[in-house]
Amino acid sequence: MNSLAYTGEVEPFVFDMHIRGEIPSLLGGSLIVPTNRRNKDRRVFSRWHDSQTDLMRFDLYPGRPGKIRVHVLAVDPSGADLEDGFRRGEFETRAYGQLSAYGYATQPNHGINIAGNTVWTTNLLFGAPLEVDLPTWKPRRILRYVELHELAPRVSGTSHFAWSLDHRYAYFHQSLLQCESPGSAVRAADIRLIEMDVQSRTERVWQLLPPAEDDALETANFHSGFYFEEAGKHYVGLLRTGALLESLAPHSAPIDHTVMPMPPSTIWVVELDREKSILQAELLPGIRELDGLALSHLDVDSSSGDGFILYANFKEADVAEETHGVNIYGEEPEEVAEHYSGMIVEALNYGMVIRYERRGGQISLRTFKRPYVPGMTSLGHSWLPINIMLDPAKRRLFCTFSGFRPRLLPRHIAEAYSNRLVDPTTIRYVPPLLMRFDASTLEPEYDQKRGHLSYSEPVAMTIAGDGKTDYVCTFSPELGLRIYLADDLNRMICQAESPDLLHWQDSHFRPEPAHMQFVHR
Amino acid sequence: MDNIPDPPFSLEGPAFAQRVREAEEVTQTLQNNQWNFAASPKIFAIEAGCDVIAKEMVFIHNGHMQTRIGRLVMAGVGSFFNLMGPESARSQFKMVSSHILDEINRQIGSKGLYDFQEFQKYTPFQEVDFLSPSIFYQLRDLVFYGALYGGGLFPSGFENFSRSIAAGKIIHNVVFVPPMPSSDPGRPVSMMATPLSVQVPTPVVEWMEKPIYGGIVKETLHIINLLTLEPTRISHPFLPFVGEGRIVYGHQRYYLRRFVGISPKEGLRGPGVPSERASQKDESSQGGATT
Repeated sequence: MNSLAYTGEVEPFVFDMHIRGEIPSLLGGSLIVPTNRRNKDRRVFSRWHDSQTDLMRFDLYPGRPGKIRVHVLAVDPSGADLEDGFRRGEFETRAYGQLSAYGYATQPNHGINIAGNTVWTTNLLFGAPLEVDLPTWKPRRILRYVELHELAPRVSGTSHFAWSLDHRYAYFHQSLLQCESPGSAVRAADIRLIEMDVQSRTERVWQLLPPAEDDALETANFHSGFYFEEAGKHYVGLLRTGALLESLAPHSAPIDHTVMPMPPSTIWVVELDREKSILQAELLPGIRELDGLALSHLDVDSSSGDGFILYANFKEADVAEETHGVNIYGEEPEEVAEHYSGMIVEALNYGMVIRYERRGGQISLRTFKRPYVPGMTSLGHSWLPINIMLDPAKRRLFCTFSGFRPRLLPRHIAEAYSNRLVDPTTIRYVPPLLMRFDASTLEPEYDQKRGHLSYSEPVAMTIAGDGKTDYVCTFSPELGLRIYLADDLNRMICQAESPDLLHWQDSHFRPEPAHMQFVHR
Repeated sequence: MDNIPDPPFSLEGPAFAQRVREAEEVTQTLQNNQWNFAASPKIFAIEAGCDVIAKEMVFIHNGHMQTRIGRLVMAGVGSFFNLMGPESARSQFKMVSSHILDEINRQIGSKGLYDFQEFQKYTPFQEVDFLSPSIFYQLRDLVFYGALYGGGLFPSGFENFSRSIAAGKIIHNVVFVPPMPSSDPGRPVSMMATPLSVQVPTPVVEWMEKPIYGGIVKETLHIINLLTLEPTRISHPFLPFVGEGRIVYGHQRYYLRRFVGISPKEGLRGPGVPSERASQKDESSQGGATT
């Protein structure tokens, strides 16, 4: 189990980056990036969800060149280091390191949620959020609201929380995951919706009932949430990603297996009612009909207090699976040098970005779907969308797309989606992309000098600024931190790097993370 | 070798001036069309090209300056090739002897690249020199050169260089010509070049980006030696660490960390899948490799 890559090393790891360019004054603050480790030995099977977490905090000090100091926190997945911050029951104490279906209490190598001086980091599917104190960069507690046991030994939760308009309340779901049984997949159980008051540090927990027309608990998992108000009522929307797990435990041997296809994603909408203990979810109309897979990330403009404009993306990838086995060309893993067993899954085809507006009972929907055309690269593409973020003025939308590495798509996954699969005989490598859209039309902001897009860009991205001058930051350990003018993605104003980002000791490297967030000092 | 086109360097006089005008037209057309290659399909490289097979390198870092010396082995189909790579604008380039690489191998008892079993299949090599170095400072320089000398480009590679240029890097290019070229995509020739040294002031060790697939070899065999004046725990991001020790070179004692392995190139595609191209195939271009 890769979670045991945690070595108990508690000594903080701190280093400075080498900067070329300048750090603008608006970026005085910290960038938070959850990263993970992967063994350099490609034969070591390690499920991407389970990879040991290294949480990075980049402290940015404006100037020319300014200064960037990086603090790395290696997370203890057992939670044993938290003392009062996490009370492990008898089952968990016994299961950690022994029961692969249990895995860990927390492995927050994916999402970031921030309020004030507190950060909650999350896995993309498993485990509970870890609360980290921003100034000291030390873990404080694990947020757990369900009771694990032998038959339901894992937890799932929302990776990217919903926030109330005043950013006082965070909303996310948490549920148990029940073990698979012959003929049936892993199922969610005891689905809870949590409201966390970040001022008073109190919490409210509701039981959540699925919509009658979308009640399959095998796919009741939610990667992101959003909050909105309408006609004086308060709501939370949950993106039902729909990962369908054949097994709770990582494979004991990475052999080809039958893949149960994911259903199209939906969005559940829940009206918040503090008088009730049970809340009934309803389906947001028009989403299932889009027939997209893995609705995952979002940004929302619900500032009007009457409805919302939701921006969200469908990955068109089976996010319950991981890369292993023979690829779509019949090549064995040993023949494919870029193959790391258990790594992040590739898309089946190009994905989709949507703009869903609901105001005064009226709904409007726009979509962006595009293949990669080598001769017309200025048009962009929508292969494996990851980040989606509005600028502070909410006029422009920035998206990153991970692209496509055709040799990394396993045959056993592709076979489950023959009706959705790209033609393997014509598809080539699709480079990653960062692109700027007009938020009102969802059209790329085409510009003659191609300042609206940047290829070969890390997917981890965030925007910071004051609404007049905004910056786009991207990061990967290999390419370092890049800061662009948001108005012109040809104008990089800072590039920073350090070899200490790239590796963990001599045995592991740090693959590209998915997300980053900026917080002002 | 009748089917191998003459290198475009053979042009001179009015014919060359005409080629310059045509290259400028291609460049202008592409620039006016947001660098979309469909506007001028001639710029696409042809399918077969050149790739780096193996790299044996030493990174010498003294705390404020990095000197990188590399012995490259390439495989290619065609009569001339370009080797391009993004570098710091403060880089200094020169051709050097392989003495330091040989000396490291001697002191640690290695045969260098010949330690790789996979390397044997690429022997024997034709020895080549890197010629006619040039530097591209902006996208139009890169496109103009590709159009002028038929270097050819792939859009994904072009986009990669575009990011390097946006980051304030330069694109360094050298030409090499095999004495006995091959036109058979099934039988590329192997070439070993005189080592190139790149020196740049930097307080941190800066590893190289992965090379982009040029259509010939999907993987790169690597031997990377890191020499420092002080002990370090710096590791390579994707190559296995195989050992460390101390060596002496030029009356200076260095700490050595050595990384050896095989790495994939960027931009790989499935077997039998053609390279990026426009609808009209253009045969006049030659491929290139990236460092």
